[in-house]
Amino acid sequence: MMLYRVLMSMGIAVMCCRCSYSGPPSKWLEISNVKVRQEQTELGGPKIIIEYDIKDPNISSASPAYVFVRYSKDFGSNWQLVPMGSLEGNGFDIVARPGHKQVVWWGTGQTSFVDLSQVEVRVRGIRMVRIPAGKFVRKSLPAGGRDESKNAKPNSDLALFYIAKYETTISMYTNYLNEIGGEGAGWNQRMTDSDRCGIIRHNNYTYSVQPGRENYPITYISWYDATNFLQWCGLRLPTEAEWEKAVRGGNYLDGDEAKKHPNPMPERRYPWGDKAPNADGVYRCNYDGQDDGFANTAPVGSFDKFSSPYGVCDLAGNVAEWSLDWYSTSYHAGLDGFRMVRGGSWMAVPAACDAITGATQLPLKESSIMGFRGAKGLRRSR
Amino acid sequence: MKSLNRREFMKGSIGTAATFAALSQGKAYAANNKVVMGVMGLGGRGTFLAEKFAQRPDTEIAYLCDANTRRFARAREAVEEAQNRKPKLVQDFRRILDDRNVDVLINATPDHWHGLGTIMACQAGKDVFVEKPLAHNIWEGRKMVEAARKYKRVVQVGMQSRSAPYVHKARQYIQSGKLGDVYLVRVFNMMQHRMQKDSPGQPVPEGFDYDMWCGPAPKRPYNPSRRWINQWEYSCGPIAGDAVHQLDLARYLINDIPYPKTVSHAGGVNSLRDGREIPDTQLATFEYGRLTLLMEAALWTPYMKKTPSGIRESDQFPNWPFSSTKVEILGTEGFMYFGRHGGGWEVYNAQGELAHSEYGRQADKEHQDNFLDCIRTRRRPNADVEMGHLSVLLCHLANISYRVGNQRLVFDPQTESFTNCDQANKYLKRKYRRPWVVPDKV
Repeated sequence: MMLYRVLMSMGIAVMCCRCSYSGPPSKWLEISNVKVRQEQTELGGPKIIIEYDIKDPNISSASPAYVFVRYSKDFGSNWQLVPMGSLEGNGFDIVARPGHKQVVWWGTGQTSFVDLSQVEVRVRGIRMVRIPAGKFVRKSLPAGGRDESKNAKPNSDLALFYIAKYETTISMYTNYLNEIGGEGAGWNQRMTDSDRCGIIRHNNYTYSVQPGRENYPITYISWYDATNFLQWCGLRLPTEAEWEKAVRGGNYLDGDEAKKHPNPMPERRYPWGDKAPNADGVYRCNYDGQDDGFANTAPVGSFDKFSSPYGVCDLAGNVAEWSLDWYSTSYHAGLDGFRMVRGGSWMAVPAACDAITGATQLPLKESSIMGFRGAKGLRRSR
Repeated sequence: MKSLNRREFMKGSIGTAATFAALSQGKAYAANNKVVMGVMGLGGRGTFLAEKFAQRPDTEIAYLCDANTRRFARAREAVEEAQNRKPKLVQDFRRILDDRNVDVLINATPDHWHGLGTIMACQAGKDVFVEKPLAHNIWEGRKMVEAARKYKRVVQVGMQSRSAPYVHKARQYIQSGKLGDVYLVRVFNMMQHRMQKDSPGQPVPEGFDYDMWCGPAPKRPYNPSRRWINQWEYSCGPIAGDAVHQLDLARYLINDIPYPKTVSHAGGVNSLRDGREIPDTQLATFEYGRLTLLMEAALWTPYMKKTPSGIRESDQFPNWPFSSTKVEILGTEGFMYFGRHGGGWEVYNAQGELAHSEYGRQADKEHQDNFLDCIRTRRRPNADVEMGHLSVLLCHLANISYRVGNQRLVFDPQTESFTNCDQANKYLKRKYRRPWVVPDKV
């Protein structure tokens, strides 16, 4: 038996079916021609085959796509992430080359749907940056969070990981809100602020982006909201160590296995080097004031000429970013308390946009100067 | 600012800050006047206070001040969101004191700045909300009291549980005699701290006025790996900084007993042997005649937990045996478990049966309410500066006993000095780094 269906997919189906929209690189990566079919196998039961095209020529091993698949078996009411462990093929998780992709999902048994007509599938991609394994110069003091052994040392030798090239945008987050539905979970009234965020909630708990705000970073986002979004994607927040390495680069930009490309500035203060964000009349990131061209947040990637050695954008300024790590101070030890936020923001002094400045925030805090980006790694590294 | 005319009038008619203070202390704040505030110190607590006061309809945050400009953004964002107006951002708190439109200085700096910051604010005619522990040393605490009295300032200390209704009920319960005669009070402060990892010194980061941050304390080479809270020059210590809440509550519950006659200390740096100066284990005994107050504190007890926020804000009690911040009051007829910051209290009778209990709630708002009420009425606040002085004094006594080899010291309340140890008296007052000197006559 073969069932065959062309599926709508947020970001992708909109692109392939309804218009010729070519999204900016900061949104979901463009994925088109998504097709899903179900096949019986001789011994293993039915399998689902998902095919799609990802044509972005900038996808590479250094800047791959992270592709994840979500499905609904009740006509779009509830959605779940397809476990990566149930997939085979060349088009899921880290995808390093553009082209036609095929993914086999051995999930029919798991999901208990009988026929494909019940099922909707959405395929989305996020542009990532590869951070090779190896040592880097860590200058920030570890926050000390969850330092229960009292002896934990800051980790400056990290395994391979991937980090999102851009901060999570309003349009991505709005897309997430519309899928998770619910009665306002993940949304708060301040997100309607048209200068600092820009998501409108409608009476039926659907959401839309205020026109023109699509590519601005999401703000007013709690640590829990951020982690929920990333779990929805199959990602997580970067640790402080990962974030700092993404800014400064490893001692070898191609990693400690290759060691062919030493980092020319392994102790750099900012992603672009040591020059202050406003040195020589050049504005290298979005910090306090309007001299850099932005009174509030800026569209992600606005300062892409001043990205990190790996090409990660907006680590300096724009919005400070939640990290995975907890903070414990003398006073707050024993309480499940503060999380660490890294990087400066559009409200910060230029010097605060460096590689080491961090701040503590309670995880429920929703602020116009804080956002997040996703990461994926083999293991968590503080 | 709605009270501009009044202040403009004051500006035009008053010469010195001291005179201004003397004249303004009796003024009646109109109901629609906002109390204008500047916040000095934008760490976690300072930012919290700035945001909470900014959220009130009767206050306005006009200034945010920190020696480190990197700390501006977090506090500024919170304040702007709350009051829809941008505060001025300054590195030098004297700009706040110079502004006669400002009524209040909120001092949430590290310990070494509490004293001089508060005294200078009093001299400038500001009322003060100062975080605990009140003072870096005993002499300085007394000077803070003198300054508050001389300039007729309201000085509220951030010992907020004093404003909690359940705390008042506990005091009344004890006063009623239902515990019998109280001879023993035990204060606990059992925490989990981490080892410092000593790293080389670093250049002072751009945008950080390190000289100002050091203020009255020595200007040691900049080294953030050595936490200020573990160094005598900047701190009373991590135990003092937290245990002072329970010590203050213990004092309050037993009628604000003023001074112990003696102090004895045991303990030292036993677990966190990372080069720190200040003990990680402190057992102190304070003798008040027939009443004994014990403090048991340590920084290496992960099984002891502070009261979770969910319990602080609900009808629940802490898990008393493992409550890290409890007070136990032992009478001849009953025993009271008492929890700070909303932990509530329970009393057990001689048969070990529950005799009475009261749930608690945190009292940050009530404490702020009380402060603002006192600004208007000129009454003494719940956690008046003198109470702050007498409570942190216990921490200083324990520390000094430790610093002179855990000697038993006899304290004279009249002179606020020791009568049996000259060496101990050397720790009553710090050396102040010019120009940041607390004067003998405030």
